[in-house]
Amino acid sequence: MTIEMTRVSFAYDGGTSGVPVLADVDLTVPDGEFLILLGPSGCGKSTLLKLIAGFDKPTTGEVKVAGKTVTGPGKDRGMVFQDLDSALFQWLTVRGNVEFGLRMNKVSDADRKRQADEALRMVNLSGHVDKLPDELSGGMKQRVQIARMLAMRPEIMLMDEPFAALDAQTRQMLQTQLVTIWSEVKRTAIYVTHDIREALNLGQRILLMSAGPRAGIKHEYEVPLSYPRDQTDPTYIDLLDRLSKDIEEEVTKVWS
Amino acid sequence: MVVDTTESTPPKKTPFGRWIAGFWISFLSVVFGLIVWEIAARYFIDPFFLPPVSAIVAGAIELIERGLLFQHIAISLFRILTGFILGSLVAIPLGLIIGSYMPVRQIFDPYIHFLRFIPALALTTLFLVWFGVGEVSKILLVMYSTGFIVVINTATGVVTTHKNKKLAAETLGASAWQIFWFVTVPAAVPSMYVGMRLALAGSFLVIVAVEMLAAESGLGYLIWTSKLYFRIDWMFVGIFLLGFFGLLTDYAWKVIGRRWLRRYVRETANY
Ligand SMILES: Nc1ncnc2c1ncn2[C@@H]1O[C@H](COP(=O)(O)OP(=O)(O)OP(=O)(O)O)[C@@H](O)[C@H]1O
Ligand SMILES: [Mg+2]
Repeated sequence: MTIEMTRVSFAYDGGTSGVPVLADVDLTVPDGEFLILLGPSGCGKSTLLKLIAGFDKPTTGEVKVAGKTVTGPGKDRGMVFQDLDSALFQWLTVRGNVEFGLRMNKVSDADRKRQADEALRMVNLSGHVDKLPDELSGGMKQRVQIARMLAMRPEIMLMDEPFAALDAQTRQMLQTQLVTIWSEVKRTAIYVTHDIREALNLGQRILLMSAGPRAGIKHEYEVPLSYPRDQTDPTYIDLLDRLSKDIEEEVTKVWS
Repeated sequence: MVVDTTESTPPKKTPFGRWIAGFWISFLSVVFGLIVWEIAARYFIDPFFLPPVSAIVAGAIELIERGLLFQHIAISLFRILTGFILGSLVAIPLGLIIGSYMPVRQIFDPYIHFLRFIPALALTTLFLVWFGVGEVSKILLVMYSTGFIVVINTATGVVTTHKNKKLAAETLGASAWQIFWFVTVPAAVPSMYVGMRLALAGSFLVIVAVEMLAAESGLGYLIWTSKLYFRIDWMFVGIFLLGFFGLLTDYAWKVIGRRWLRRYVRETANY
């Protein structure tokens, strides 16, 4: 499903007084794309993702998914939260968490089991189905969140810095896994990060956001490289360099 | 897993083995305390103020022989548990609704936040006038004190349920009703559990005070009347039994938490 944002502005106070966090954002995401939202901390990446998820409504402008205006969250748009613990149901096992959406939607027992098993397999958690979230490592918790989303087979997968709290090795491994999953399910993915390498390892297109307030999309970068990304490829290095300079400009704005 | 070097050296202790070891330490501590008490009461303190343990045991046997002790215990426990259970049955649904539905919260909030500062003790005589000296007024007082603690804790549990859990459920296609039932309620269980545990302890306080003021039975009554007979040993029997049954019900509550609510209350039931 395509996503379209037209002249979207957003202020947390409803636009009554302060400056909006996001101003005049225009954005089109074609069906099946792996899109990265990259930007300095606090610029409004999460805010933008929440508007697409339907957790918040734009103050002005419009968010459309498959041609229909977004009015709230829906199961066509799955979400992986940055926080390791707050979004999991800690009273349910891994399987319970992954099956949650299917149960809520009264999917038949056989389909539920099949879809959950498939999702668990994709994130490599088949061996841990009976554990409670408390008994999992951070990386496993994020994989539960991903599997829980995958089980619902959403058209759009929204991910808000899902691996930011993890160590470098785990992060790298999960990035590879995520690319595999994405190419298997062939759904639109929007992935938020402030890590340039992560952006280059995952995205087909990278949108660099300007520093807030009144943040918007500053520049757009295509990544014409195949997966898995070769970090020694001249194009990769060149993009890395240009993105670093570009983002540094924004970070400097925040600190000066 | 936390790596504990003391545990990795053989022989390994099973959880039960550890529990037994812990139990013996506590047991010896109690025995030691009783011996100190016995010696102090026999040789250093006027037994009128602090009778020795042996005298208290003798007093307890005397009470049992008169056939009154079990009756006092039974009626106090009946009042406490009935009030506690009925109070919780009212308070949990109320707390859930107050916590999740703003208009209801606005209706109840002024009453709750006003009345919570009025202890059941202050209402004892009023309840006796309203509901008579029978069991009803006593059970209602326990319900009252239980109710406030449980309502406030339950509502707090609902309100503090992390927003992300509900948002996640929404993206998974859960309806508002499903979110309430399958996210908010389970997420609030630890607060309910803790609230009920506090309320259970509170019930003991309330019932003793009520029984001292207006009852012909119960452990509070026993303690109160012992004074009239100058039977300080009986008074200690009553005091000891309160502590003992308080401990027992609290322990039972912990076992319930660990056994049946484990995945909901988690560490909350550990202490
Ligand atoms: N619930 C909220 N209420 C008010 N202001 C908020 C709220 N959430 C975020 N903001 C503000 O909006 C701005 C953008 O926040 P947002 O969380 O979208 O940033 P971000 O780009 O996701 O940052 P990070 O990389 O640190 O997660 C910040 O200035 C922040 O203070
Ligand atoms: Mg963020």
